[in-house]
Amino acid sequence: MPNLRGLRSPGHLRHGRLSGLLLAPSLFGLSAFLIFPILIVIWLSLNKWDLLAPMRFVGLANYADVLTDATFGNSLWRTVIFVVSVIPLQTALGLFMAVLLTRGLPGSGLFRVIYVIPWICAPLALGVVWKWVLAPYDGALNNLLGISVEWLSNPALAMPAVAGVTIWSQVGYTTLFFMAGLAAIPDQVLEAAQLDGAGGWQVFWQIKLPLLGPTMFFVLVTGVISAFQAFDQIYALTPNGGPEGTTDVIATRIYLEAFQGGFNLGRASVMALVLFVILVVVTVVQQRFFADRITYDLS
Amino acid sequence: MRRRTPLADALTYLVLLVAAVLTLAPFALSFMTAFKSPQQFASEPALNLPNPITTENFVRLFSGDYSFISPIAVTAQMVAVILVGQLLFSIMAAYAFAKLRFAGRDILFWIYLATLMVPQVVIVIPLYVMMAQVGMRNTFWALVLPFMFGSPYAVFLLREHFRSIPDDLIDAARIDGAGDWRILWQIVVPLSRGIVSTLAIITVVSHWNNFMWPLIITSGRDWQVITVATANLQSQYNANWTLVMAATTVAMAPLLVLFAIFQRTIVESIALTGFK
Repeated sequence: MPNLRGLRSPGHLRHGRLSGLLLAPSLFGLSAFLIFPILIVIWLSLNKWDLLAPMRFVGLANYADVLTDATFGNSLWRTVIFVVSVIPLQTALGLFMAVLLTRGLPGSGLFRVIYVIPWICAPLALGVVWKWVLAPYDGALNNLLGISVEWLSNPALAMPAVAGVTIWSQVGYTTLFFMAGLAAIPDQVLEAAQLDGAGGWQVFWQIKLPLLGPTMFFVLVTGVISAFQAFDQIYALTPNGGPEGTTDVIATRIYLEAFQGGFNLGRASVMALVLFVILVVVTVVQQRFFADRITYDLS
Repeated sequence: MRRRTPLADALTYLVLLVAAVLTLAPFALSFMTAFKSPQQFASEPALNLPNPITTENFVRLFSGDYSFISPIAVTAQMVAVILVGQLLFSIMAAYAFAKLRFAGRDILFWIYLATLMVPQVVIVIPLYVMMAQVGMRNTFWALVLPFMFGSPYAVFLLREHFRSIPDDLIDAARIDGAGDWRILWQIVVPLSRGIVSTLAIITVVSHWNNFMWPLIITSGRDWQVITVATANLQSQYNANWTLVMAATTVAMAPLLVLFAIFQRTIVESIALTGFK
């Protein structure tokens, strides 16, 4: 039922003071710790500052500096590789597991619980656990396979390893959303399709998948946004940008630039803003893409 | 309704089982290692069970140089303060947005929603500078202040839920002479127990696990949280994996216990909060 009381209803100001009191703490928090910092980061990006020497206004010099910097170019590229490696696999595997779990076999509930376990754990702690699992000489994986591969210090393997660990920790979480999405598809729709002679494969591709649009949108948007910001497990697995900078994604580069080796706050702020712009663009593009394709009309 | 064949069922179970083993293996291996002596770890394959089972890694972790007691205490206090603040202030804000009428409500709510887009990585630098300017680097308050005044996400979820509570119920309470504060805590919140506990779980999990902000804003041992302590231990005692795995076990254990107790609520609430 739409709620019809709006601003035009009589006495709309009657809760003004009370609302002010109720909203004051969160409004303070939001302004001081989310909105104000955005203004500060913009100001910092226009200055040269290391927290010690006086701040020096340099205009767009930091932007020119960062945007032509090969190290930052590398970070952007590594981030894209990371996102493109993680998201399709994580989404496809999550959907696949959800389809299996919604076949209604006994014990599915237990499996679902097991798959969510990595989500509950600190990505940093999981990163440290995997650092041991992938360790070259005394690590569990090499031990198991009887080999001694340098998973995390070989430039060709570090990114796949970091992406693999991320996928491992996210699939269960993604599965949950697809399960909810699949459960929301009305039985009548599936029955009608089967009556029309559609096979399981056809039902999946032509009915379930299109009807999963909103779920897919949510999973992709939140997945891409968090992948662009990935930090904890990457920091744990491959500190300092990994071998030859192969896992030096934007988040770790911002951290290294700002807090390790000289407090380049201006440059780091530019990088943070570039990331912010990327995230906003990604969200808007995904919104547009799905707005055209999601059909809610089941008639 | 669905055509089933025994072969398809068997294949499904096989895949589910393999996935479960892959999910659990790193946990099982790291717990096993945490209970092994360094000597056994160095001389035997990783898959061997601890023999004898030893708690010496945990004893070392909680004593002497590494003392993990302080990080656990700091993390628990941090989570407690953030949890109480975030629930209290988000509930207050959500009630105002859902049930009260005031000028500019829609615009203000839109602003709350817009701040959902602000990523943590983008604001850690200015937050750090702000804390440094007021001399709060490496303090307990630096850990909790940015998060304890409510979160736009919590306000959004709570508002959706509060709106579904009939206005008649609230009007009836008003006629009976209840003030809004009483209505909020004695009618609205008890009717929203499900979403409030979901938010509580999400808050505890995300702040117990938070790493980047504590890493940046604290230094030294005084206010080190458990994730930062684990990362430091790992980088200092790289080869000492039995000790490091004891640390990751301690870092993950409280949430795993929480998960074991509330797994049904947690699993269902994750899917629930994704949508409205």
